[in-house]
Amino acid sequence: MALILVVDDEFSVAEVLQSVLADSGHEVITAVNGRQALERLGERRPDLVLLDFMMPIMDGPALLRAMKRDPAYHDIPAVIMSSLPKRVVAQAAGGLFSAILRKPFKLAAVIETVETVLNRHN
Amino acid sequence: MQTDKSGRPGLERVPTGLPGLDTILRGGFLRGGIFIVEGSPGAGKTILGNQICFHHVAAGGRALYVTLLAENHARMLLHIGQLGFFEEEVIPHRLYYISAFRVLEEEGLAALLHLLRREVQARSANFLILDGISAIEEAAPSTREFKKFIHELQAHAAITDCTMLLLAGTSQTATEHTLVDGVVELQSKLYGRRAERVLQVHKLRGSGYLRGEHSFRITSDGIEVYPRTEAVLAHPSVADKITGPPASIGVAQLDRIMGGGFPQHSTALLIGPPGIGKTTLGLHFLSECNRDSPGVFFGFYETPATIRDKANVLGLPLGPLIDEGHVEVIWQSTAEGLLDATCDQLVAAVKRRGVRRLFIDGLQGFDKLAPERDRLGHIFSAFSSEFRGRGISTLYTSEAELIGPVMGMPFSGLALQGVSCIAEIILLMRYVELRSQLHRMISVLKVRDAEINSALHKFTITGKGIVIEPDWASAEEILGEATLQRRAARLGHGSTHPARQ
Repeated sequence: MALILVVDDEFSVAEVLQSVLADSGHEVITAVNGRQALERLGERRPDLVLLDFMMPIMDGPALLRAMKRDPAYHDIPAVIMSSLPKRVVAQAAGGLFSAILRKPFKLAAVIETVETVLNRHN
Repeated sequence: MQTDKSGRPGLERVPTGLPGLDTILRGGFLRGGIFIVEGSPGAGKTILGNQICFHHVAAGGRALYVTLLAENHARMLLHIGQLGFFEEEVIPHRLYYISAFRVLEEEGLAALLHLLRREVQARSANFLILDGISAIEEAAPSTREFKKFIHELQAHAAITDCTMLLLAGTSQTATEHTLVDGVVELQSKLYGRRAERVLQVHKLRGSGYLRGEHSFRITSDGIEVYPRTEAVLAHPSVADKITGPPASIGVAQLDRIMGGGFPQHSTALLIGPPGIGKTTLGLHFLSECNRDSPGVFFGFYETPATIRDKANVLGLPLGPLIDEGHVEVIWQSTAEGLLDATCDQLVAAVKRRGVRRLFIDGLQGFDKLAPERDRLGHIFSAFSSEFRGRGISTLYTSEAELIGPVMGMPFSGLALQGVSCIAEIILLMRYVELRSQLHRMISVLKVRDAEINSALHKFTITGKGIVIEPDWASAEEILGEATLQRRAARLGHGSTHPARQ
C-alpha cells in the first residue's frame, strides 16, 4: 500500500482517481492546485504524486519544479496527467516526471502506470 | 484606442471569428464587456465558447476557459478536437483551461472571484469564458450576493480590458440579464419533425445589432451562423444606378418581342409547367455571359454535370463558359438545408464573381427550405434591391400548372407570390393540347412601365435550343383549333381534324 497525492482542479477527476486507487489498496490525499499540493506535502510525504498539467494558482510544471528544488521532495516520483500531447507536456515539464498519462484515460492505464512507477522506485 | 468622430473613446470590438455572428453583433462583442450566452444543454454553448477562444488566440490574443460544472476537460477537448477550428498547439501557452468548481464549492464566491482575477492576470488573458454560471447562482447565498459577484466581475473585465463570456443554461428569472452588457440565446426549434438551431441577441449595450432569430448549424468546422437574409440586405450595399442597353436573353426572337431584351438590372420571372423549357431559356440567358458579364446558375434540382450536359445537347456554349470561369453552376439540395445558408451561398457567389447575369432555377426550392414561408416575400424583395444595385439582371423560374387554352395563373406558391410582386418582367410558358400533341407557347405577361405585346408565340426546342416563331399566327391557329376541338367534344361532334371530317 502506498500513499498517493492526487492534484487536480477538476473535481470529477480527483474523485474518480481517489476511488480507483483506494480500491487498489492505496491511501489517497488530494489537492486542487500546485500550491495546495505543497501544503499537503508538508503534512505527509507521499510515495507518489499524480498531478494535472493545467491548474489554477500553480500548474503542474510549476509544482514539479518546486518539488525538485526542495531536497525533502525531490526524489518523490511524479506522474503527470494531461489531455495535451505528450510532447507538449514533456517540453513544459522537462524531465521532472516519471510518466505521462494522457487524458481521458482508462482505469487499467491508471493502475498500470501507478504500479509501474511505484515498483520502479521501491 | 479607437475614438469616435468627437474624439471620445470609441467602442472597440472583439470579433468572434464567426462571420455571421460578427455581422449580427456589428463587428463582435464590446472589448472589456461581460456577456451571457445562454441555452439549454446541447444548444452549442461550449462549442461556441471554444470556437471564439480559438479564433481569439489565432488573432494574437490570450484566452482562459474556466469551467464551473463537474465537466471533464479531457472529454470536452476530445470532442472539440474533432472540429475544424481546433489547434492543439495553442494550448496551454495561449489558451488555458482550468476548473474552478471546487473553489466555488469549498470556498464560495469571493474565492472564485479572487481566482478569476488572479488567473486572468497570470495568463495575460484578454478573453475569458466562464462555463456554467448557474453553479455560481446556486452557490450564492442570496440573489444580492450573486448580483454583487457579476457586478464585481464586470468591473474587473472593464479595468483589465478582458472580454468575458458567461455560458449559462436558459434562465427563467434572468436576474443576471440586467447586469451584463449583452445576452445571446441559442435555441433549437422544431418545424414538424425537422429541427433548426436559432440564435437571438436579446441585448447589446451601447450598440445596434441585427434583431430577431438567426439560423445556425454545427458542422465539422464548428458553428456557422446565418443572419436573416432580409435583415442583412435590408439596405442594398450598392446604390441603384441603371445604365446601358437591354440585356439580351439569348434568344433573338424573344429579344425582339421584348424590345431588345431585359431592361438593365431587372428582375424577370419565368413561369411554366415542368419540362416546357424554363431551364433551357435560362441556359440561353447565361450563354450570353463573358468576361465582363459573368453569370451564375443557381438551381435546386439539377446538378452541375447535368446542366453542362443539357447545354451541350442544346448546342449552347455553357461548357466553355464554365471552363473559362465566366459562368458558375451552383446546386443546392432541398433535402435538408437552411434557408438563410442557401441565401448566403447565393449572395456570396454573386459578390465573389461580380455577377451580372443571375439565373435562379426553381423558386419552389426556397419554399421547401423555408420553415416560415411568409419570410420569402421579404427575402426576394431584398434580393431584388441588392441585385439591382449590383447591376445584375436576374431571371427566376417557377413551376405552374398551365395546360389548356384558358389563361390560368395559379399563384399559389408563396415564393412565386413573393417574386411576382417585385418582378419587372413576367414571362409565361404554357402547353396547348391539340389532338395528340402538346404545343409550347410563350408570352410576355408583364414589363413594368412599358407597352408590351403579350401575344402568345409558339416555340420549339431543337438541337440549337429554343426557336420561337416570328409571329403569333401559328399560335393562334393551334389555339383556335384547340378551342373548336373542345367545343365539338362538349357537343358530342367528335374530331375537328380536317382529315376525319
